[in-house]
Amino acid sequence: MEHTVSYLGLIPLFPLLGALILGVMHISTCTGKPFSEKLYGVLGCIGPVISFIYALIVYFQLKGMPADSRFLIHDAFTWFSVGDLHITMGFLADPLSSLMLVFVTFIGSLIHIYSVGYMSGDENFGKFFSYMNLFLGSMLILVLGSGPVVMFVGWEGVGLCSYLLISFYCKDTDNVLAGNKAFIVNRIGDLGFVLGMAFLFWAIGASGFDYLSLRENSHLLTPGIGLVVCLLLFVGACGKSAQIPLYVWLPDAMAGPTPVSALIHAATMVTAGVYMVARFSFIYAHVPVAGAVVAWIGILTALLAAIFGMFQHDIKKILAYSTVSQLGYMFAGVGVAAYSAGIFHVFTHAFFKALLFLGAGSVIYALHHQQNIWKMGGLKEKMPKTYWSMLIGALALAGFPPFSGFFSKDEILFSALASGHTGIWFIGVAVAGITAYYTFRLIFVVFHGQPRDKKAFDHAEDAPAVMTIPLMVLAFGALCAGFLNLPGIFGGNLNVSHWLAPSLVEHHPHTSLTVELLAMALTIAIIVTGIVIAYKKFASGAEEPEYTGFAKFAYNKFYVDELYNTVFVQPYKAIGSVIWKSLEPNVTDIHVKVSSWLYRKAGTGFKIFQVGYVRVYAVYMVIGLSIISLLLSQSLN
Amino acid sequence: MIQNYLILSVILFCIGILGVVSRRNVLIVFMSIELMLNAANLAFIAFSRFHESMDGHVLALMVMAVAAAEAALALAVVILLHKHKGKLDTDVFSLLKG
Amino acid sequence: MFAEWLFAAFSILAVLGGIGLVTFRHPMNSAMSLVVTMISLAGLYALLSAKLIFAIQLIVYAGAIMSLIIFIIMFLNVRTEDLPEEKGRFLYLFGGVVVLAPVFFFLKKIIQSIPATKATILGDGFGGIKEVGLVLFKDWLLPFEIVSILLLVALVGAVVLAGKRRMSK
Repeated sequence: MEHTVSYLGLIPLFPLLGALILGVMHISTCTGKPFSEKLYGVLGCIGPVISFIYALIVYFQLKGMPADSRFLIHDAFTWFSVGDLHITMGFLADPLSSLMLVFVTFIGSLIHIYSVGYMSGDENFGKFFSYMNLFLGSMLILVLGSGPVVMFVGWEGVGLCSYLLISFYCKDTDNVLAGNKAFIVNRIGDLGFVLGMAFLFWAIGASGFDYLSLRENSHLLTPGIGLVVCLLLFVGACGKSAQIPLYVWLPDAMAGPTPVSALIHAATMVTAGVYMVARFSFIYAHVPVAGAVVAWIGILTALLAAIFGMFQHDIKKILAYSTVSQLGYMFAGVGVAAYSAGIFHVFTHAFFKALLFLGAGSVIYALHHQQNIWKMGGLKEKMPKTYWSMLIGALALAGFPPFSGFFSKDEILFSALASGHTGIWFIGVAVAGITAYYTFRLIFVVFHGQPRDKKAFDHAEDAPAVMTIPLMVLAFGALCAGFLNLPGIFGGNLNVSHWLAPSLVEHHPHTSLTVELLAMALTIAIIVTGIVIAYKKFASGAEEPEYTGFAKFAYNKFYVDELYNTVFVQPYKAIGSVIWKSLEPNVTDIHVKVSSWLYRKAGTGFKIFQVGYVRVYAVYMVIGLSIISLLLSQSLN
Repeated sequence: MIQNYLILSVILFCIGILGVVSRRNVLIVFMSIELMLNAANLAFIAFSRFHESMDGHVLALMVMAVAAAEAALALAVVILLHKHKGKLDTDVFSLLKG
Repeated sequence: MFAEWLFAAFSILAVLGGIGLVTFRHPMNSAMSLVVTMISLAGLYALLSAKLIFAIQLIVYAGAIMSLIIFIIMFLNVRTEDLPEEKGRFLYLFGGVVVLAPVFFFLKKIIQSIPATKATILGDGFGGIKEVGLVLFKDWLLPFEIVSILLLVALVGAVVLAGKRRMSK
């Protein structure tokens, strides 16, 4: 088997091993003197870096194979067998997962290195790196899994780690609540994923439940079941990738340390949903209705999150909503069957979003955990390295040519237009303008104008090299990643799309060049307009405005959290407390109470035999002997 | 013939049990146990005689060795008990009372 | 005929010694009764041609172990007023006899079901030191060694239990 390589399983193993070692080290020293941060840092970064090297090896090995049979598999062991269902702990590397693999490990490694600087001085330094390694390891299992079940292991793993890391500063109740929220909302999505998986198995899973067999059997899927499977899987994706209506956890996830936000938003976790939809492209391609639902939910999420993003004041929340918005774009892309465009946006987004978060982290670090942008200002002079790299990230996020975001976003919008989803295209263009506006609102308020908090401003400076070097590397990526998939009209040949093609089921629609150029020009015009408006309003130092009317409504996120709270959370709690107070003690626990009462009474009854005198116990023995003798001598005759 | 020896053995054994269950003096309880061991020895020797095999003798020797070991330990325990409470009464020690 | 008389005498002495053991109040009296039983048993062993066991019963049991017990009784210097008051001991003994009666009759029944065999004439060596020793060291070597370890353990245990302890913290 030329496709079998045994090192594939090692890729997730290294970070997991790192997590184990760091965790044991942390636990063993949690009462005494902890190990040095240097040791933790080195051990924490080594796993991701080795995984990255292996990811590159996988990539080059795939590159050396013929395009139509590019895949590597490694079945580590049979996990369990139930009847016809044989689940192996298998790993599959094909063009799609290798692309994910390379950038997940690359950006993950950079974030780990950055964290060494960001987290220095934290008492739970070791715990942090242990969780981070576990997070990355889970994501790698998710990406590399050879079937939906193995993917689900990673899926749950990242859910768990997001909970652990969001509530990392667990002494503050709000952070723990944010972690709970992320976990519970993810559970709702996971339920969809599990149900979808079950339906898929029921329909076509009998002859092998991994992607390769499923893909071969996908024509057996009836449209009805296909729609159900697609929608249920998309519920899972909604939970993990923060789409309407399950996006509420992601902005709250900002409670965690900033590198965690970068990891969640850029490399791991939220991209899982998009990856999953692309992975199941062979099913989605059969069910255009499901694709349309995905695309519309995606683009509406993009719009909603962009509107929220316009009015936030917390630097990380702005970025969080921009992530939700960009994820919406990705879903719009995969929804209109432009899977490679969606995945490419995941790829470029990983660079510039990691860059923006790490830059924001540097700003927060420099200002001693100040996150309100209306307390910043004029930081351009003090933090030039951070400013320039964040500017690149912002331009990429806004989709300004020739930064990476432009190419991937344009690819999605163009696919939407070309496949006839004019409504999606129109909203997408509008969202691009809003994105440009709120991104540069952030840049201008934070870095331009006059310092609003003089004292903090005076102490601000660029972070140490361990933090700025990852920033620069990411800035380079954000600048150049787009050229990897240069479309035909710029003389490129869509390298990434061609690379991904064997893993996906998609067709590239064609329209006239004029339409393509016109659409592109319109997008650019809108983006420039957004930037200009932001410049006019904020570049020369605006003060925090009083929001009224619609703005206030949007500032409060359309009161969606409050709505969910009243409609779902409170009734659920009320039902729970009714069950807890009346049903449980009086009905379900009754047999437990009766039997415990019985045992207690019997115990007190038998206690009288326990007189404590040795000879009395001997008497019991003799009495027993006597009775046995009586019985036996009856039978002896 | 052998029946007589065995019945004597049973009688002695029962007297030993009587001593264990009805007396409170630690030393007498201990000696009753010795009596029971001796009764068992008698049965061994009797069987040995009538089966004309000497394995019973060997077993009797072993019982004696065990009895010697038991005597050493039991007397040490008796000394300790006496040191603690100044009494030889088994009913003083009733820590197992429920 | 002579042997039957001897058996009757020894067995009556043994039973009387046992009864004395469980009825006397003072442990010293009980111990002396036990010595009587032991010596009678030694006689019975001699009647059963167990020469070695006869000797060991006299030397080790009636001699060493009993003198150890008596030594301990004297060492503890038990006075009559220190002894537990056992007013109801005859009542207890009577109750014990009632409870044990079924056991006794059950065992008796079993013993009487054994076919009666006349004592055969034995060869010269039966029960002698050499013959028992051969059996002991040929067929019973492993149990013998285990018993020796048991004795060692008991020795150490006795020292630990009864020895003077250093004041623990």
